[in-house]
Amino acid sequence: MVKIKIDEEACVGCGSCVDDCPNDVYKLDEKKGKSTVVNEEDCMACLSCHEICPAQAMEHQDIHVAKRLYIDRKVNEVIRKIL
Amino acid sequence: METEREVFGNFKPELIPEECSGDINDYEEALHVLMKFMGSMSSALEQVSGRGANAIVYQAGKRMGHEAGKLVEKTDDLEKAMQELSEILGIEFYFEMWKPSNQAEYTIEKGNETIVKLIFRDCVVRQTLRRTGLRQKGPLCYLLYGYTVGAVEEVMGIKGKLDIDHVGPNACLKTLTIKWGGK
Repeated sequence: MVKIKIDEEACVGCGSCVDDCPNDVYKLDEKKGKSTVVNEEDCMACLSCHEICPAQAMEHQDIHVAKRLYIDRKVNEVIRKIL
Repeated sequence: METEREVFGNFKPELIPEECSGDINDYEEALHVLMKFMGSMSSALEQVSGRGANAIVYQAGKRMGHEAGKLVEKTDDLEKAMQELSEILGIEFYFEMWKPSNQAEYTIEKGNETIVKLIFRDCVVRQTLRRTGLRQKGPLCYLLYGYTVGAVEEVMGIKGKLDIDHVGPNACLKTLTIKWGGK
């Protein structure tokens, strides 16, 4: 099953993930002013929340990671050398 | 090391090559050139034809789907059709049926229609769009739309439509609606 972690220190509480998710996986905790996971079992791991989150505060665990053929292997080699 | 670009040998047009030439680097290069080419075609089509681009690409995909659907056994069992469809589309369009946790079955019956949600996990179209920096839900997505509908129509002998519900960088959710009662 998908596990979602939100880095509360990084989350800015903008609510973008709440608006974006079609399955209402997130809810804005008004007291904390942070996004929280309320419906994890309905997450389909599309990761559009990752793309929209300005703080990159999310982490999805145990998901099917789609192939990334669009990244050139030569680019990966360069990145690996830099890192 | 410098890659050898030229291959010398004898060739007659009637000969079927016994093995594929090239290695993974050649295939990767070809894939990326094709991705760029497809992306460029898609954006040019949109620029010239506007929303008509979607219809053109849809029609092309549908034709491909009908051709692919001819290769598999006909059925009126939706789950079996989905299995066969998955084989037709292959590993580059890996999808599965999806339902929210509060829904009992994958399929929903509505009058003479059956609705099923499909989640496309791996998709070459998505790869191409990301490679070329194009938005999702554009004309190129209609290729898969047409392909799926064409294949479903061919396998089940009925009319179908596929709506794009939500797109993401890792998966896309689509709704397949099939209408019972012939084409």
